[in-house]
Amino acid sequence: MNILEVKDLRKAYPAFTLRDVSFTLEHGYIMGFIGSNGAGKTTTLKSIMGLVIKDGGDVRVFDEDFKANELKIKQKIGFMMGEIDTFPKHTLSVITGAVRRFYPEWNEAAYRGYLKRFELDETKKVDELSSGMRVKYSLTLALSHNAQLLILDEPTSGLDPVARDDLLEIFQQLIEDGNMSILFSTHITSDLDKCADYITYIKNGAILESCSKDDLIAKYRMVKGTAKQLEAVKDLVVSYRKNAFGFLALMETAKLPGNTELAVEAPTLEEIMVYHERGVGNHESAAL
Amino acid sequence: MKALLYKEFKLVINPLFYLVALLSALILIPQWLYFIAPLYFTFITAPNIFTLSKTYNEQYFSASQPVTRREIVRARVVSLAALEMLQTLVLTVCVIIKLTLWTTPNYIFMDGNLAFLGLTLIMFGIFNLVMLPMFYKTAYKIGVPVILATTAAAAFAAGIELGIIYWPFIRFIDGMRTTAAHGFTLIAGILIFLGLNALAYRISAKRFEKIDL
Repeated sequence: MNILEVKDLRKAYPAFTLRDVSFTLEHGYIMGFIGSNGAGKTTTLKSIMGLVIKDGGDVRVFDEDFKANELKIKQKIGFMMGEIDTFPKHTLSVITGAVRRFYPEWNEAAYRGYLKRFELDETKKVDELSSGMRVKYSLTLALSHNAQLLILDEPTSGLDPVARDDLLEIFQQLIEDGNMSILFSTHITSDLDKCADYITYIKNGAILESCSKDDLIAKYRMVKGTAKQLEAVKDLVVSYRKNAFGFLALMETAKLPGNTELAVEAPTLEEIMVYHERGVGNHESAAL
Repeated sequence: MKALLYKEFKLVINPLFYLVALLSALILIPQWLYFIAPLYFTFITAPNIFTLSKTYNEQYFSASQPVTRREIVRARVVSLAALEMLQTLVLTVCVIIKLTLWTTPNYIFMDGNLAFLGLTLIMFGIFNLVMLPMFYKTAYKIGVPVILATTAAAAFAAGIELGIIYWPFIRFIDGMRTTAAHGFTLIAGILIFLGLNALAYRISAKRFEKIDL
């Protein structure tokens, strides 16, 4: 069953356009939504949630049209956009007191549990919290009303490595418990190496890839060779980088020449993203 | 809707705003421009509600919750109208005190009577009709809507006061000496207030549904 289905989502701004964004998230999986700054991650997530009015396209959640069933669907979504930046002069307990009233299925035990786990002090005001603590509070609210789908924008940014690891562990636990699916955007690709099942990669407002993480990694190869060998594969690579020893390039596995003498290895998500963003061309390595 | 109203009164509306209603006591000053008393609401309370709402990024908070945009606007209209009714209620108490303590009418301007209360509600209705639809065009620009809405409300009040001096019809409303006749103006004022708020809500909700947050 598809928990989330986005089809041909469009939104035009004077200087940026979201073009026919389509992807699906199946029940019980974690999808990482990656892309560079300004690629359209937040606009996509906001369009899904109706915070940005889309120009066209369909969003279906839990197999129902989002617009037609907005109230019902939002009850089952845990949503956060980065760190909390609303009501800076109010204490967390006052804000929670207001938020819990929106959700008949508010889970006070879960809320208390996450407060404790994240070491959040309810008597503190929002602007007394550090950036990371604000993210944690925002997450606590998103996780405390028995949601079945989490839509999280940059949940790991601003968190220290220990908190990030803890959060990724929570994601894994939520998925293992069986009733949750997670879509989260990030530019910290190492987070996805740890926990994502699917990856959707957006570039300049259009989806470049949307498939399982393993398929995505299998689709590409990092190739290494001498400057002379580069000439032979130059037109086949996604992009390459020259260095003192030769070159390093990202290439689609299908385009890999047979019986090649090039050194070939699996890329990381970061390499896939970096080499796509650099475009096809001669990029001299700045360090060498 | 209940949750949105709770959010309005608990998180957005500062309790100090309720004290502005006490400025209604200004109508106990003899021979004064009584409309200034309720106008303080449009000078202090209403602009601050919208400013705080913007400072707190409240529209975004609300839109992230399981509510529709129409409900968000409805909660704001209801909370604003509730505060205006509170202002009018305190004004009513002051009018009763005034009518009990001394019977000398206001010789120059509108008298503090039931008709005045009805006209005050119409003034608040006009304020809301200008303020709300203009604000919900962007949900963040406050300056021009506040200036125009306050000007519209003040212009209505000034029109009534000038009418007392120059236009026989207005003088007739104020000059009527029976409580029943003044009561009729009050009822008409309540109905017009409700009508203007309903219209303000309809236009505002339509506009708020179209903007990006």
